Parts: sequence; C-alpha cells; structure tokens
Amino acid sequence: MSADGAESGELKQPTLQSETPDYNDAYDAIVVGAGLAGTAAALTMAREGLDVLLLERGPAPGTKNVFGGVLYTPTIRELVDIDDAPMERYIAEKRFSMLTSDGDETAVSIRPGAWHDEPHNDSYTVLRRRFDEWFAKQAVEAGATLVTETTVTGVLRDGQTIVGVETDRPNGELRAPVVVLAEGANSLVSEAADLKERPDREDVAVSVKEVFKLDRETIDDRFRLDGDAGAAYHYFGEGAVGQAVGGGFVYTNKRTISVGIAYRIEDAAQGQTPEETLDAFESHPAVAPLIRGARRTEYAAHVIPEGGAKAMPDLVHDGAVVVGDAAGLVLNSGVHLEGTNMAVESGYHAGKAIAAALEDDRSDESALVAYPRDLEQSFVVENLRHYDWFQGTIADDRQFLFEDLPRALADAETEYFKMDRTSKDEHTDAARDRLLEAAGGWFGAAKRAWRFRRMLS
Amino acid sequence: MSTVQPHVPDVSIEDRLYTVKYRDAGESHLGIKNADVCTDCTTNECEQVCPAAVWTVEEGSNGVPSIAYENCLECGTCRFGCPSDNVEWTYPKTGGGVVFKQG
Ligand SMILES: Cc1cc2nc3c(=O)[nH]c(=O)nc-3n(C[C@H](O)[C@H](O)[C@H](O)COP(=O)(O)OP(=O)(O)OC[C@H]3O[C@@H](n4cnc5c(N)ncnc54)[C@H](O)[C@@H]3O)c2cc1C
Ligand code: SF4
Ligand code: SF4
Repeated sequence: MSADGAESGELKQPTLQSETPDYNDAYDAIVVGAGLAGTAAALTMAREGLDVLLLERGPAPGTKNVFGGVLYTPTIRELVDIDDAPMERYIAEKRFSMLTSDGDETAVSIRPGAWHDEPHNDSYTVLRRRFDEWFAKQAVEAGATLVTETTVTGVLRDGQTIVGVETDRPNGELRAPVVVLAEGANSLVSEAADLKERPDREDVAVSVKEVFKLDRETIDDRFRLDGDAGAAYHYFGEGAVGQAVGGGFVYTNKRTISVGIAYRIEDAAQGQTPEETLDAFESHPAVAPLIRGARRTEYAAHVIPEGGAKAMPDLVHDGAVVVGDAAGLVLNSGVHLEGTNMAVESGYHAGKAIAAALEDDRSDESALVAYPRDLEQSFVVENLRHYDWFQGTIADDRQFLFEDLPRALADAETEYFKMDRTSKDEHTDAARDRLLEAAGGWFGAAKRAWRFRRMLS
Repeated sequence: MSTVQPHVPDVSIEDRLYTVKYRDAGESHLGIKNADVCTDCTTNECEQVCPAAVWTVEEGSNGVPSIAYENCLECGTCRFGCPSDNVEWTYPKTGGGVVFKQG
C-alpha cells in the first residue's frame, strides 16, 4: 500500500495556491477532517456522484488520530471491502477485570466460538495511522478529492448560511453549498462558528496510550490466541485508574499491544496526572506481565467526548452538518467504548442526506433534516440515550464501584475458595456477608442493583 | 493483599516522548489568553492534566506557565482542563506538529 499516496501527488489535488484557478463552488461539498466520520461522508457523497473535497490537517489521514483499539465494522463493511483493509486482529475474546490497588484481579472473560466466524462480531483491532489512510484512499478511488496539510480555520457565512471554509493556505477560502464538520473531539471550527458549545470539563475524558512491540508468538502465548484472533481486555477499579472515573485497556494487534487508560479530565485536574495513572496501571500485577520485556514504540494521547445524548449539539444548520466526535457521538458506558461505529454511521447518513438535498438544489437546514432523523432512528442515538443515565450514576457511586466493590469481590473470592478445615457452607456465608457489607446491607444492595439494572439490559 | 512487585521498569516522560515523531511548525500553536488570570490561578490545572509535560509553572514566573509546545501531542486536554478557559489552542500550521505512526 502506498503510504504516501496523499503526498506524492498521485491523487487529484488542487494546490490552492494563488496561481490556481478559482475553486469556489467547484465542489458540491467540503468535508473538514479525514477521520472515520469525514471519510465515510466523503465516500458516500462521491458514490452519489457529488464532487467532494476532503480536507485534512495532517500530512496524511491518520497521522493525527489516536484511539484505543477496536474498530467496529457493521456499517463500514457495507461501504467498503474490508478484506483488503489493514486490520490487525479480530476480537476473539473480551475480558472485564476489576483491579484493586493491592494487586487483586477479578475477571469475567468471554470467548464465544461464533466470533471466530466472519464477520467476527464486527470487531477488529486496527492502528489508526494505517487504517485511516487506507479508508481515505477508498473515498479518493470513489472520486473524492483529498487535500492534506490543510487546516480549516473557520467557516464562511452569507448571513446565517454557511457557504464555505477558510483554510491556512494562501488564498485559502473555498466555497461550496455544504460543509461537513468532521473534525473530531477537539472541534475548534464548530465551536468558533457557534455550531456547538465547548463541552464542559466533566463531559470530556483524557486518554493516554502506549504501543508496545512484542513478537507475534509471545502475544499469541500470553493472550492464548491463534492465527488472526485477538483480545480486548478492559479494566476497572482503583488498580486501573486510581480514584478517577474511567478504566484501562489492553488490546492485541499483530505484533504490538496497545495499553492505555481513559478517565475524566476533572479527575486529572484534581491532581491525578495522566502519566502517573498510566504508570500505576502498567505496573499492576495483572497488567505488568502482559507487557514484560516489550519495547515502547509510541506514546499518544487524545480527549474523548463522553457527555452522551444530552451533550449532543444541533446536527444540522443552513449549509452545514456536524458528524462523529465533533457531534459528541461516543458511547462510553464503562462496559462499552464505541465511537468508530457511530462516526461511520453519522458520516454515512449525513452523506446520503446531503446528496438528496443537493438533488433539489437545496442546502438549508430543513432540506438536510433527513440526517438527524435517520441518525435518531439508528442505533447511534438510541444507544446514547439508553446510557445517558450512566455517567452521573457512576460518578455518584465511585467509592463503591471503584474501591469497595473490587476489594469486596477479591475478599469474597478468597473466602469462598479458602482451603482450610471450615465447611464450604461457612465460607460461602462469609463471602456473601463480605459482599453485602460492601453494598450497604440488603437494602443498599437492592438499591444499587436497581440503579445499575440498565447496565446489562 | 499481594506482594507481587511491578515488572515494568521506570520510565520517564522523556523516554516516552522520545518515541513520538514531530514536524516542528516553528512557532507555538498554544498560548495563554490573559496572563493575569494565570497569575491569580493557584491550581495550575493545565500542568496537572497535560500528558506531555508541556505546561510548567516555574518559580518566579509570576504564576504564568511556560509552554514547551514542541512536545505537544495535540490531545486537547489542556483546553478543557483550564477552569478559566484561559488556554489559547490552535492547530500547528500546515500539517506541522505531532505525526503518529501507529495511533
Ligand atoms: C484513546 C481513545 C480510545 C478509544 N477507543 C475506542 C475503541 O476502542 N473503539 C471505538 O469504537 N472507539 C474508540 N474511541 C473513539 C473513536 O476513536 C472516535 O469516536 C472516532 O475516532 C471519531 O471519529 P471522527 O472521524 O469523528 O474523529 P477523528 O477520528 O478524531 O478525526 C478527525 C479528523 O479531523 C482532522 N481535523 C481536525 N480539525 C481539522 C481542521 N480544522 N482542518 C482539517 N482537518 C482537521 C483530524 O486531523 C482528524 O483526521 C476512542 C477514542 C480515544 C481518544
Ligand atoms: S492556563 Fe489556566 S490552569 Fe493554567 S495557570 Fe493559567 S489559568 Fe491556571
Ligand atoms: S494538547 Fe495535550 S499534549 Fe498538548 S499541551 Fe495540551 S494537554 Fe499537553
């Protein structure tokens, strides 16, 4: 695969220099950001026969992008042939672990046999640098024009209507009937244009991640994997992210593993720094053996919006739509961390809606409402609504969830499996008592069970 | 209770940042909106939240942080982390800044 396709001039590429002809209204739509959402939108529109300009600030798509590791493919698989995509491994096992700061681990692990069959439960680890570049290339092959190393610095307006973008290129103003804002979590352009408010600190998480190199056999052995099978381990509790609200993760790639943590910026601001938190997680006895002897190959960080449905801005405006992380479309429920599927889904629906509106020569808000309507009816908004209650509940109950419960679980297990001359019955009773005590007795347990019932529903 | 010792060798922020590739944009894309706000700030959250040690409030700096923009991972955290919204945050010019090779 040509890693530098975007740079070598092999792609159709206007230079946007002063000597270039006037590109105003040469395009039907301009997409800001060649991440998953922007590329999905550009690809969809190009397939609908529109002239699309996809603008990316990095030297190539993916060079600025960071995520934990699992790409969810239900929609992307409909758009492109993922057999050729640079996938790392499919997810054959998911594991959820509670860690205490004392070194205890209690894990639930699932390895359904069905996940070995294609499409592998639509879950694959990828490295964004390679994947995003490949995905953008599919949009280019469908007819979109990709221009890299170009940062959009603002939108152009005619009255209230957005009529184009301003870039950091010389004479870098470009007009088009529709602008797709797909700039990700740090959405400077949308915020400056009053298309959304800056999210509150409580609604944004910080994530730091490292990629470690190991040979393939070592990864297969340590994680009990075979062939292209991979694993996604998720960690909670004080041993994962200290006193903060969030969690840790370990994902296997082909020859590397991605290790990281994500928790509320609010907690980092109160003194728990990202680096120390990552150090503690990587040193935990449950995690350290997984990365023993590995070489660090990259340190990275990024914010994650986690305000859910209530923090979602208006998705359509006269002449513009907002998609993906820029629109806050990330589900971070503790058990789920999904944004890739939502980014692609939103880009796809936005692309369809724009094509239909332009067919009628329109680009005003009311002509574009098919996008929010379709998204509302998709899993995206439904899932976000379903979990909206979660962040607040977790924050209110963090002492119990992240400290008391993991410790009680570890104690209860130790009690339950204790080998001595006391009867099993007595050990079971003691284990149950220990759990009940942590949950606040029978009434406390019932109250909590009720509060968290929706987590697994 | 566990007595297992960590297996991970100590790693410094320098070691970590050494793994990161950058294209220097030549000028800082980060700044402070109003220095007086920093002078009055006692919490220095910008320094706390940044995973790349870009922000440092040094002795005698009147509380105004120095900014090692060359190390910035462009994660965006400081923009939300400052409670006074006093961080001036833009993207490095023309594709400069961090270049992830894996992401
Ligand atoms: C650490 C971490 C772990 C995660 N783990 C997972 C996971 O395991 N599974 C999952 O499904 N989701 C995960 N997510 C969420 C997921 O990564 C995002 O939801 C998804 O990448 C959003 O895609 P996007 O296209 O909206 O934004 P992005 O992928 O952020 O793309 C935005 C693009 O716009 C470009 N850009 C920004 N501003 C401009 C501008 N002004 N001009 C030009 N270009 C611009 C950027 O360079 C970038 O290429 C994780 C996120 C993080 C940060
Ligand atoms: S940038 Fe914000 S947090 Fe940092 S010193 Fe200034 S006011 Fe305080
Ligand atoms: S964007 Fe991230 S890495 Fe850069 S200075 Fe801000 S917090 Fe630090």
